[in-house]
Amino acid sequence: MVAVLSLLVSFMAPPTQAQGLTVKKTTATSNQITGNQIIGGVPTRITWEATVDRNEAVKQITLVFPEGSSLGEHANTKATVLEGTIRLDTKFTSTISNTQTVVVFDELVESDLLIRLEMFYVALPEASGEYTLTGSYIDATGREIKLEESQTISVIAATTVDQITQWMDDQPWVEAWNSVLFLKIFLNPQYLVASVPALFFGWLRSLGLVLVGFPLAIPIGLGISFLRMARFGVIRFFAAIYVNVIRGTPLFLQIYIAFFGLPLLGVSLDSYVLGIIVLAVNSSAYLAEIFRAGIQSIHKGQFEGSASLGMNPVQTMFHVILPQTIRRVIPTATSEFILLYKDTARLAAVGVMEQMMFAKSLVASSGNMTPYIVSAGYYLLVTLPLTKIIAEFEKKLAAAEGSTEAPVKKPKRRLFGIGSIETLIPQKKPDEPLENSRSAKKLRLDEEEGPHDKHD
Amino acid sequence: MFKKKKLLSIFVSVSLALILSMSLFLAGCNGGGSEPRTDAEMINVTSGVLTIGSDCDYPPFVQMQGDKPVGFEPEILQAIADELGLELEYLPPQNFDTILASVASGTKMDVGASSFTITDERKQLVSFSLPYFDSNQAAVALISTSYTSAMDFDGLTVGAQSGTTGADWVRENLTGSGTTLKEFNQASELMASLAAGDIQAAFFDEPAAAQYVATSYTNCHIVEVIPTGEQYGFAVSKDNPGLLQAINDAMISLKKDGTFDRIFLKYFPDLKPPSLGT
Repeated sequence: MVAVLSLLVSFMAPPTQAQGLTVKKTTATSNQITGNQIIGGVPTRITWEATVDRNEAVKQITLVFPEGSSLGEHANTKATVLEGTIRLDTKFTSTISNTQTVVVFDELVESDLLIRLEMFYVALPEASGEYTLTGSYIDATGREIKLEESQTISVIAATTVDQITQWMDDQPWVEAWNSVLFLKIFLNPQYLVASVPALFFGWLRSLGLVLVGFPLAIPIGLGISFLRMARFGVIRFFAAIYVNVIRGTPLFLQIYIAFFGLPLLGVSLDSYVLGIIVLAVNSSAYLAEIFRAGIQSIHKGQFEGSASLGMNPVQTMFHVILPQTIRRVIPTATSEFILLYKDTARLAAVGVMEQMMFAKSLVASSGNMTPYIVSAGYYLLVTLPLTKIIAEFEKKLAAAEGSTEAPVKKPKRRLFGIGSIETLIPQKKPDEPLENSRSAKKLRLDEEEGPHDKHD
Repeated sequence: MFKKKKLLSIFVSVSLALILSMSLFLAGCNGGGSEPRTDAEMINVTSGVLTIGSDCDYPPFVQMQGDKPVGFEPEILQAIADELGLELEYLPPQNFDTILASVASGTKMDVGASSFTITDERKQLVSFSLPYFDSNQAAVALISTSYTSAMDFDGLTVGAQSGTTGADWVRENLTGSGTTLKEFNQASELMASLAAGDIQAAFFDEPAAAQYVATSYTNCHIVEVIPTGEQYGFAVSKDNPGLLQAINDAMISLKKDGTFDRIFLKYFPDLKPPSLGT
């Protein structure tokens, strides 16, 4: 240590004394509402650490801020002295100004101790750049010794969003609004503005999860639904196990098992990819039931009719049955899409970077709930139009299929005039499984049984 | 047009109702709930009960044993509640990152007790009791890896519990490009993710880290204890100075009669109990 130091000192054209205080680090905490950088002109917390070298003792430390620094409200400096990892009960007094902070220790800080100074609510200069802290300390004999220059802190100029939120900070109407605790914590204007751009990328990532996961789930689900209707009991049995195990366990649990269990088995996948797989597998079981019910709702006569035209079962399935099935299952499959989209939020618990995770870390670092409200807005941005589309499609379907086969119209509740919420409201479950049901009304009930289980 | 009007009127009436009920509720809270033994100003969410919010997943400070939280904090708080003549009641485990906001709102819990480090930033939101524990950060990694210091993880994928000083430390110190911070609700999820290799290091408080690597995760070790000298305090709403005073008084009297040290040494036999300013 001493050798390194003397080397350093000889390089630095030293002040009168040999350096007796080794600066370990100088950092500042991010003061952006969203983001990890340090903006100039806005209060931040600067942390400075140094160890006292052998045969040295420190009475007082002066740290000089870069020119152009200023103080926020409540600015103060706290000193912590540690022996190894043990915090000592060191008393001190400190003063702070626009230019510097001075910390005077009641007793000498002896050698090998770590001094940690935290300067709260100090604003670094507004211009972007690299800044350092300079200063000096006073040792046991009262000599003032210049400190080596600290590591640099990178400061950026305020972004547009930062500027808007700073402007809002000074507005009387914002202050009045925020004086109501509920509004301040849940509908804070500053956080509202800051969260919209910050959550945008999280929103894209969530959308990505479901836009890849759901199309993957469709062929798997269709395959499983065929297996569920297979001629051989053994195949039907295994397909039923797949569907019932996945539908019979919470998605949350499946996520846990996949994320914490698989890696222990040596399967290591990118968490985003694994998230997509879990969603696809989960959704495939629900889709399998939707497809099966859809296929079984097609009148038996059509199979017979196709056979009489000389079509084999595969041709019948792909040319006659499926095209009709697809039309019928679109509303329920879309509901399943909506449910799956909302379920992407559960991946936040295992560290997949998606919208909820973005919102969560904003809430965590600010203690303000507003990012959650903005997050809800982003989810609605997708789900409300889709709900509307489902309603429209059902209307068309009903018109196209005529009275007997059409989904039975129920009196609809309108959700703020935006669309039907019927597809999202749990319906009464049928008393018995409708394996052979062909009535369109019963079919709808059967299909809807699936997605609701998920949220029980 | 008609629809839009209707939509607006629904929205307005719903928000009015919300605000009205909130203010009525708050007014109600301010009225009652005082306790005979201490200042008349002490307010409790439920009268006669000290209601605690905690994530209940931070051994040895607190963890669930069946449906009961056990550990250093529940024992200290029980002693404080006894001292104040209150019942102690823990809410079901809360998400760590929402507890302080809940405390601040003052409607759900009286005290946030989840090994909260006292910081000036958090003091903007809530008040803190006397510090009851000195702590540091730790960087934890798999034993099979060859990292030797916390700064080795600069530029890698690391994890921390959401809203903790550990997460703050990572944001402030691991500023190299490529550093990804994954945030978890619970310390146990954080450790599971580390063991699964999803993150290279977990950053959280040293006492809890030490407990985890000694018990459930023996394939992990503490790479470095980062001396931050932080201190834990119980969080109380800023609008409830009566309760804060009562808790501090109770802590001091527990310190004086030896109860505090006895509980402290039961959980941390190798450490020196904090002075609590006495």
